[in-house]
Amino acid sequence: MKLGPYLVWAAVATGTGILVLLGYFFQLDVLIGLRLLLIQWAVLLAAAALMLGLFNLLSVHWNKVSLQQHGWPYSAMLILFFLVTLVLGLLFGPDYEVVLLLFRYVQVPVEASLMALLAISLAVAGFRLLSRRRDLVSLAFVGTTLIVLLGTAPWPIGGESSVYLAFSDVRAWVSQVWAAAGARGILLGVALGAITTGLRVLLASDRPYGD
Amino acid sequence: MTAIDLVGLVILILFLVSMLVYASLGERWKVVFRPLSGLDALDEAIERAVEDGSRVHVSLGTGSVIGSDSAPALAGLAMLSKIAAKTSMSDKPVVATAADGAMALLAQDTLRTAYDEAGASGRYEPISGRLLAPSPFSYAAALPGMLATEDVSVHLMSGSYGAEGGLAADFGERKQALVMAGTDDVQSQALLYATAQYPLIGEEVFATGAYLDIGRMHRASLRTQDLVRFLIVAAILLGTIARTVGLWP
Repeated sequence: MKLGPYLVWAAVATGTGILVLLGYFFQLDVLIGLRLLLIQWAVLLAAAALMLGLFNLLSVHWNKVSLQQHGWPYSAMLILFFLVTLVLGLLFGPDYEVVLLLFRYVQVPVEASLMALLAISLAVAGFRLLSRRRDLVSLAFVGTTLIVLLGTAPWPIGGESSVYLAFSDVRAWVSQVWAAAGARGILLGVALGAITTGLRVLLASDRPYGD
Repeated sequence: MTAIDLVGLVILILFLVSMLVYASLGERWKVVFRPLSGLDALDEAIERAVEDGSRVHVSLGTGSVIGSDSAPALAGLAMLSKIAAKTSMSDKPVVATAADGAMALLAQDTLRTAYDEAGASGRYEPISGRLLAPSPFSYAAALPGMLATEDVSVHLMSGSYGAEGGLAADFGERKQALVMAGTDDVQSQALLYATAQYPLIGEEVFATGAYLDIGRMHRASLRTQDLVRFLIVAAILLGTIARTVGLWP
């Protein structure tokens, strides 16, 4: 093991992690107080990091505008509206009518449009999946998707028919039995992976904060 | 301390001891990997990107560092360090993006360390680890522009995603990049299965470090996961049998 300043960061990260972790297992006032204090500090640091991140975002787009790279007008627009929103928010607060208007009539519609785009993207991806990976799993994936769609979405005609009710029953059986069982298996694997990843950071084997 | 706390602590100690024991065994007990097509194709794609002057992009998702969903992004950061070393001599080194300020800072630190270790400190640019946008859908909206401007040919996603993950993978596909994607959320995994060329299902996103040979602790983690999984499955089966025959009320 080489010596260096990273040992200090690693010791701080490991010590803090252990204190927070122990606070979950031992209901001692000292540990619980320390855990809450450290988490509050983490939230403050995350807010400060967001400011740095936004500065980084501006730097990236400022570079693009300065170098007239491909798509620089979009970067210029981003910088302009970023600064306008920031100044309005700082001067008049987040509840100011114009800031709310920007959020309601720009941010929300754009996000809603992306959700709509997702529906189209997924339909295309379904076809692409069948053309690219023609195996049993992919066929089962697309087949199950169709059954669930037919059993969930309203039918223009025959909504009360026995065929529709049969699809609804099959959909319920697939989602409540097969999908739930599969999801639990996947969640078990994800939980185990998340624990080992966290422990590697706690043991300072992985040091995302650098050396 | 309640009984459930005690069980949790015992399981955690089991994890720790197992990881340390497996790590100390090291190469004396070879790890056998099952083939994962995405990770098999990744090496070749990275080499191709270095040769043709295109860029590798690592997306760390839309989760935050202090959230409970940071684990896949931490796995992504480990992968980023390895890829940064591999692409350090390329005209266009790897770029990493996140939707969280702290995650972007971690990406910068990871890249700086990787370049230092590769003896290419001069290649490090702070904007190669960046906050793309501060919310999930604005992150997805900003991706196509970034993929086009940076000439990305390998699009790796390892982080927490919601529905925007499907779009993020699809944008990579439209750019005809190699898209490998994994996340912790089950519903998002279904989206990624449909949209990504190489989806990582379940714990596969956490196994990338071991497959990319990042270090012995990554291999030890994989073995520990297998060990604990077998123990849990055995406990479930024994519990079911005991309950069925009336041994456990």
